[in-house]
Amino acid sequence: MTLAFNLDRKAQAAAVVHSHGVPHRRIEEWKYSDLKAVLGEHGLGAVVAEWLVGNLPSGVEVFDLAQPNPPAWVMAHVARPTQNVMNAASLALSAGGVALRVPANAKITDPLKLDFTGMGHVRGLLVLEDGASLTLVEGVGAADFRNVGFEISLGENAALEHVRISPDTADAVLVEEVSLHIAKGGQYRAHFTGFGSKLARMELEIALEGEGAEAHLSGVSVLDGKRHNDVTTHVIHRHGNTNSTQLFKHVVAGQARAVYQGKVTVAKGADGSDSSQTAKALLLGDGAEADLKPELEIFADDVKCAHGAAVGDLDTESLFYLRSRGIPEAEARGLLLHAFLEDAVAEIANTDQRERVRTEMLAAVKVIA
Amino acid sequence: MLEIKNLHVAVEGKEILKGLSLSIKAGEVHAIMGPNGSGKSTLSYVLAGRAGYDITEGSIVYNGEDLVALAPEERAAKGVFLAMQYPVEIPGVTTMTFLKTALNSQRRQRGEADLDAVGVLKLVRAKAKTLNVSEEMLKRALNVGFSGGEKKRLEILQMALFEPKLAILDETDSGLDIDALRLVAEGVNSLRASSRAMLVITHYQRLLDYIVPDRIHVLAGGRIVAEGGKELALELEAKGYEHIVGQAA
Repeated sequence: MTLAFNLDRKAQAAAVVHSHGVPHRRIEEWKYSDLKAVLGEHGLGAVVAEWLVGNLPSGVEVFDLAQPNPPAWVMAHVARPTQNVMNAASLALSAGGVALRVPANAKITDPLKLDFTGMGHVRGLLVLEDGASLTLVEGVGAADFRNVGFEISLGENAALEHVRISPDTADAVLVEEVSLHIAKGGQYRAHFTGFGSKLARMELEIALEGEGAEAHLSGVSVLDGKRHNDVTTHVIHRHGNTNSTQLFKHVVAGQARAVYQGKVTVAKGADGSDSSQTAKALLLGDGAEADLKPELEIFADDVKCAHGAAVGDLDTESLFYLRSRGIPEAEARGLLLHAFLEDAVAEIANTDQRERVRTEMLAAVKVIA
Repeated sequence: MLEIKNLHVAVEGKEILKGLSLSIKAGEVHAIMGPNGSGKSTLSYVLAGRAGYDITEGSIVYNGEDLVALAPEERAAKGVFLAMQYPVEIPGVTTMTFLKTALNSQRRQRGEADLDAVGVLKLVRAKAKTLNVSEEMLKRALNVGFSGGEKKRLEILQMALFEPKLAILDETDSGLDIDALRLVAEGVNSLRASSRAMLVITHYQRLLDYIVPDRIHVLAGGRIVAEGGKELALELEAKGYEHIVGQAA
């Protein structure tokens, strides 16, 4: 038995899963991503998925959650109670996972690579102690079905950049829930690139818990065929003078579907909070669909919250302008698609990762342009 | 170089050009003048190959080739250039990247080798200087935040860079103050050549003080209703379109 050190939390999680069952489209948060329908009779299963950590940068500590006798830093952060059914499922049904720690004030310059692979459920825990910094490059392997429950804790003035590329996999069902707690002055920067799966969903719940805490989320998706890509976020400004930004861009062709559901909550007393949310989609064809739903819930005063969503198609006037200058149609379309997506890619701070994402994005754009 | 015969063009089922004929030889500069709604911009878009303009009758022959059969990018590669009345803003594509992509796309279609980034930069810089296009403009997103004059100057810069055989200037004077107009006109005049034809489309005589045409055609109701030398512009200015159009009818 694994996560054996935390049997009571597993039992609580199991109760959450039991009472909710597999999420389906009649549940508001899963309206556009019917997990129950794609999983069919297999349901959630109880198989163990795997994790793999690349070269461990010096100073970073790793612990296998399948092992007994976890260190204190694991016990302090692992398996927080949750009402999120898939996060609970990963805890209740998983046989383990990985825990990583960057000690206080350690500035790790080499990116840390973490891959989740195989079928089933798996857990992740990443702790950045006060003043620590890290770039996390998350890899997503194809699998019939995988559910990752990932907890991230950022201490005071800790800084994490999280870059995740989800591959183009026609048959995979890949869901992941990231829950983050960010202390005073902590900074989380994340970019999610998605090329879609049978059903792909990246869900984030972010709590800004101390003065000056920041979260900057961005992402692009390029979808074709019958691919599906869902980004669902909930940013909670628990403390005043916190800042969050979100910028998601989608290019959707064929009969593919892009989903963005973003909720920002400014809690009572979190005065002076600042948030912005932008989600845009270009639909290339009559069968393509984008469901963009930014939402605001404000219980505080003196806050600045902006949100917007727009769905359109490629501008014919721009296309003609480029072609009239000698640029062939497919190339002109590619240029306009790149231009549309670029500002979300430009949000990636790490130069190598930005270049890597841009290269993959351009390759995908070329195929559908 | 350009032979238009009995051209009829409809937009969304409505006939705009109703039997227009026009012939331009290499080395000549022709002007098309006409009141609003006479079909001037339709003519320029048809020549550049914009979608949505249906040619219901007539022909356009460019250097012995049926122009209508060519895609816009093929026309550009073969030397047709339209300086647009309203250049499009494209956020996310820098002006320099656009110029390089366009230039090399044209070269590739003609079977010529690509110019490298340094080569393009040198070429662009040389042309940009005389048109007062700054380095900073070249770094900005294409036409985004450009003033009316800057947009028009960039159109003429493209003309200088692509070295077209047939240049069509659609209301290049619109929205320009007198200094900007003079600068743009100088740019155009410096590109006059025995191997190049130009078609200057304008509502006002003003531009033709600076770009003096060999021949003027008056377009009204989708047809050429009067033709003459450069003195025709002065007559139009003095007596108005009503007079000329009325006489023709």
